[in-house]
Amino acid sequence: NLMGARLAGSHVDTQEPKTNPLVSISDEPETLYKRLSILVKGHDKAVLDSYEYFAVLAAKELGISVEKVDKPPKTIERFTLLKSVHIYKKHRVQYEMRTHYMCLELKYLTSSTAAVYLEYVQRNLPEGVAMEVKKTKIERIPEHIKKPVWDTLPQVEEAEVKS
Amino acid sequence: PLSPQTRAARVRVGKGDKPVTYEQAHPPHYIAHRKGWLSLHTGNLHGEAGAAERAVEDSFLRRFMFGTFPGLLADEVVLKRRGNLLVVCALLGRALPPSKIYFLVGYAETLLSHFYKCPVRLELQTVPARVVYKYL
Repeated sequence: NLMGARLAGSHVDTQEPKTNPLVSISDEPETLYKRLSILVKGHDKAVLDSYEYFAVLAAKELGISVEKVDKPPKTIERFTLLKSVHIYKKHRVQYEMRTHYMCLELKYLTSSTAAVYLEYVQRNLPEGVAMEVKKTKIERIPEHIKKPVWDTLPQVEEAEVKS
Repeated sequence: PLSPQTRAARVRVGKGDKPVTYEQAHPPHYIAHRKGWLSLHTGNLHGEAGAAERAVEDSFLRRFMFGTFPGLLADEVVLKRRGNLLVVCALLGRALPPSKIYFLVGYAETLLSHFYKCPVRLELQTVPARVVYKYL
């Protein structure tokens, strides 16, 4: 009785192709990215460090090779204002805003891989403190550069110039 | 080097009977060291715009929260912005019954989301009493 129940529930005999509605297959060739550089900015260095660990781990799990993780020096924007509303020019207040950076560079991606990775990483961006600026470099050689120009032009006889 | 005459965001030392929370006890030069930020957005980063708009929204939201939960706020309201979503995190005391608090939460969320045209989420936590860091 149990064997009959098991076979009734399994889909061994039905031959339906399993199509995942989220995966789309297209025939056009995918654009390739040589390098994907992600720059993350934030006020808090600890948040950026944890985000770097998360992004590197996500890249390793997806099989994306990480070229390097760069940490550019922080920029401090300072300004000096008057402390009082009316007079007292000699007494001022100084404020500063520190921005820490973290640059993540990934090598050799396809457009779909890049889209998936960026979507995942951007959805988990911490609130406010980190901001992402993405620069992608695309690899493609245009047709008109492949041959040198002087081969394609028709041969013109040069007239001798007598000075 | 700080002068002893600065009075910004400092609670002056008194007789020892004034309870003071961790947020109030630390003056602003401890912000990245012992304190965190109360409102998190990207407006103040280098090369980003919109700092003034966020500041105005922040002040309005703090006054709004102070008004809708009269006498219940235990500590400062923390604002977080993730993309379009605005998350307002607050600590409340337990003076009101939960049904009234749920009504206030729904009222605040719908009103703020219609006002700012973005999804607003309110995350609350109730505390039996204000968490005192020290007495000044």
